Amino acid sequence: MFKTAVAGLSKVANAAAIAANALGTLVVLALVLVVNYDVVARGVFSAPFRGAYEVVQFSVVLIVFLQLPDVVRVDRLTRSDGFLNVLHHRRPGLTASIRRIINAISAIFMALIAYIVWPEFIEMYHTKDYFGVPGIFTAPWWPIKLVIAASATLCSLMFALKVISAQDRPHLIRAPEHDEPKT
Amino acid sequence: MTPIEIGLISVIAIVFLIYAGVYIPIALGTVSFISIWLMRDNFTLALNLLKVAVGDSAMEYSFATIPLFTFMGLIVSKAGLGRDIYEVMTMRFRKVKGGIGMATVGANAVFAAVTGSSIASASVFTKVSVPQMIAQDYNPRFAVGVVAGSSVLGMIIPPSAMLIIYSFVAEQSVGDMFLAGVIPGMMLAVAYVGAIWFMGRFTPGFVGGRPAEDYELMSGREIASKTLPTLGLITVVLGGIYTGWLTAVEAGATGALVALVIALVRRSMSLKGFWEALLETGHITAAILFLITAASIYSRMLGLAGLPNQLQDMLAGNQSSFFMIMVIYVVMMLFLGTLLDTASIILIVVPLFLPLVEAMDLSLIWFGIITVVGAEIGLLTPPLGISCFVIKSTLNDDRISLKDVFMGALPFAFVMLIVLIILIRFPSLSLAILN
Amino acid sequence: TETISAVVIDGYPARALWVKEFTNFFIPEVDKRLAETGNYAMDWQESYGGSIVKPKGVLEGVQLGLGDIGIVTTIFHSSKLPSQGIAAVTPFVSTDARAVAKAVDEIAREFPAMQNEFAKQNQVYLATGVVLDTYQVFSTKEVASVSDLEGFKIAGAGMNLRYLEGIDGAAGVRGGLTDFYNMLQTGLVDAAQLWPEAAATFKISEVAPYMLRADLGAVNSKTITVNADYWKKLPDEVKETLQAVALDYRDHLAGMAMDRAAAAADAYVAAGGTIVEVSAEDRAAWANAMPNIAQEWAKTLNDAGEQGTEMLAAYLGKLEAAGHTGVRDWTQE
Ligand code: NA
Ligand code: NA
Repeated sequence: MFKTAVAGLSKVANAAAIAANALGTLVVLALVLVVNYDVVARGVFSAPFRGAYEVVQFSVVLIVFLQLPDVVRVDRLTRSDGFLNVLHHRRPGLTASIRRIINAISAIFMALIAYIVWPEFIEMYHTKDYFGVPGIFTAPWWPIKLVIAASATLCSLMFALKVISAQDRPHLIRAPEHDEPKT
Repeated sequence: MTPIEIGLISVIAIVFLIYAGVYIPIALGTVSFISIWLMRDNFTLALNLLKVAVGDSAMEYSFATIPLFTFMGLIVSKAGLGRDIYEVMTMRFRKVKGGIGMATVGANAVFAAVTGSSIASASVFTKVSVPQMIAQDYNPRFAVGVVAGSSVLGMIIPPSAMLIIYSFVAEQSVGDMFLAGVIPGMMLAVAYVGAIWFMGRFTPGFVGGRPAEDYELMSGREIASKTLPTLGLITVVLGGIYTGWLTAVEAGATGALVALVIALVRRSMSLKGFWEALLETGHITAAILFLITAASIYSRMLGLAGLPNQLQDMLAGNQSSFFMIMVIYVVMMLFLGTLLDTASIILIVVPLFLPLVEAMDLSLIWFGIITVVGAEIGLLTPPLGISCFVIKSTLNDDRISLKDVFMGALPFAFVMLIVLIILIRFPSLSLAILN
Repeated sequence: TETISAVVIDGYPARALWVKEFTNFFIPEVDKRLAETGNYAMDWQESYGGSIVKPKGVLEGVQLGLGDIGIVTTIFHSSKLPSQGIAAVTPFVSTDARAVAKAVDEIAREFPAMQNEFAKQNQVYLATGVVLDTYQVFSTKEVASVSDLEGFKIAGAGMNLRYLEGIDGAAGVRGGLTDFYNMLQTGLVDAAQLWPEAAATFKISEVAPYMLRADLGAVNSKTITVNADYWKKLPDEVKETLQAVALDYRDHLAGMAMDRAAAAADAYVAAGGTIVEVSAEDRAAWANAMPNIAQEWAKTLNDAGEQGTEMLAAYLGKLEAAGHTGVRDWTQE
């Protein structure tokens, strides 16, 4: 019963992380296009896009927090696990416990972030706080806070699931972008 | 305990936890959080600092350079630009002792100017250069060592994710940092070539290899088609920044678009490859920026503890010499470099030393260059050396062990150290291009 | 003697004018006055240059208690501190930093809006800082009058980009202070709006040798605030001392800004720059061609339940009483 619940939750969480990841990926593309549009509009047509600066800032935050849960999912968060890899060969049980503890700490830390950012999102949703200069370009703050809060919540959940499943494995390096294409 | 004591203990705790395998951003964030809580005896204040750091650390215009240059680097790797440069370079060098090694260094230096990461350089050149060197009877250790050593050029010669990270911590312009990296990067490449010549002359056994019999000449047209795309990209990116026509962010975006056009024209990218490059860009950006966010919690914790002020006072009282501080700095980076990745080293040591450097009226740009070069030595040193890991996992050849890769890289790490000392001694090498 | 600790924060480095004067003027002055009675002594911890917060983070830093006292750069916060835009939305009125500092400060004391805005951010208003005497237009090409700017690309930051809406075909290009030299040098822009002292610091005369003396006006950009919880716990004597010194700091800083501005204008000419005078008619024509951003500002405040219209009138009235009359009456639609 517990096992099926965990498996189900884990499926949902993974699906959410992958979806957010795809969305964040589109933001990367949008960033390339927006900045190039501004460069051309300014240089060739003397008509710079007035919101370029804000849009760039906005998209960086979106990229980071939309992608973070997926980074956690594939275990690519920066770490130095040389010691754990060595230990794994001698004391696999102990190593698994240490990994559980590390994931538990991570879950708590991400939960703290979620806990402090949610109220901020609610508040800014109501006050309609914006950044930028009125009459030039403004954008509301709340979507940023929403993405951060949701992302931290999802990351916390992913770490918690890793505690239960204890499934992260030692690797020399995780850089799938340089893997040979699987044929 | 005084805040200063808590601050110092927390630095030690962070290093310990990282060595124990805790995710680096989590170690930085959690320890800093607890330290603030203890220091001020105020849980809410600690939460508040976390909130401020998470909210405004990623919200930085210049950070857009990270996804943009990462994307550009991934596209050019997939488009085969690194292989092309390598082929042109090896054409004439094959008959020299250690010639392919020198060509690999040269090709890396050129490729470094269009990619921001050492991982990309290491994986591309492992695939194109190592098999060819082994086919010509080079010592396998030398073959992988050359690739490992020259891969660090990717993060010294601009564009470079590490120079971007430093510019954020030290509040320097990304464009200035990029320009400052040009001469030190080229110097390192020249030093590598010199070292290969020296090894070929005095330790020929370590180098190995025999001159190639076949000596195929490329037509001028072929050479042009293999070099012009890369040279064009370099012109757009560095030229745009140097002339001031483009900010670093805009240069990144323009470079990414030009790289895409090159890949399309050469039909060297599938839709799937394009999507993967975008996905990876996102992953790398998120990992680096989350690390930066956590490091900003840490540096603010040090600020709340008053550690920067205290260090400055100590310096004023003690008259510690420039020499001593630099020795401590370099030793600390080498020590952390055994186990930490470059970005983490920069984010941990720079906030500690920045106040001292500022108090001594030294150039923060110069300091950034020596920081990046110093921290990157760690890419080549065991037990954790990212460049060596990438080579080992890309190679997929059981005859060459991880130990071989590290042993082969060792002479190059040593050359880096010598170049680092020269850069420390002669700041004008880093600053010349800016003035 | 009771010792009271105070953490002062700003995201700008210690060498910035207003930070330096906080260290060299504000703090010693408070210490000196408290020493007269000997009841209290302050233990200052000064954290500048991003060691605790970045320039944009000072407001939140003081709100959350990361600093007890902070120097808030208000132009970053048009959303949370709309009333602080008062001088930026009324260009062409006064180039006297002292007069503007005093008028803004009095508006802060006489109307509740500014204090309310800070109170919402859990802080107490202490003083207004004006660090720039006036924006001018620095051009790479020879210009004789405002009409020569037509069709130019002109760099600016924040509200002053809207001033350009009064010039035919001029396009505002956003940039930070540190980018302007490069933008001018490469022809990315033809001109830039900045104040003489900044022009001297960044050697603008090398790339933009013509300064059009448009006298767009002094702008308030700094506010000293105190965390409200910290303030509540302070003894009255300390509160009164801080408030009194804050007034002196306001005038001291504005005076320093004026001295530097005069020296900077001389330095610009000495470095080969030419100052091009602008006629009163030209200034009036520019001002009249602009949208009335002061009215937009007043309306935003009115809609938020504050006395925007009254504040605008009172502010301009104070400047007029001090001898500074604008070329356009911003109170008229
Ligand atoms: Na590079
Ligand atoms: Na290492």
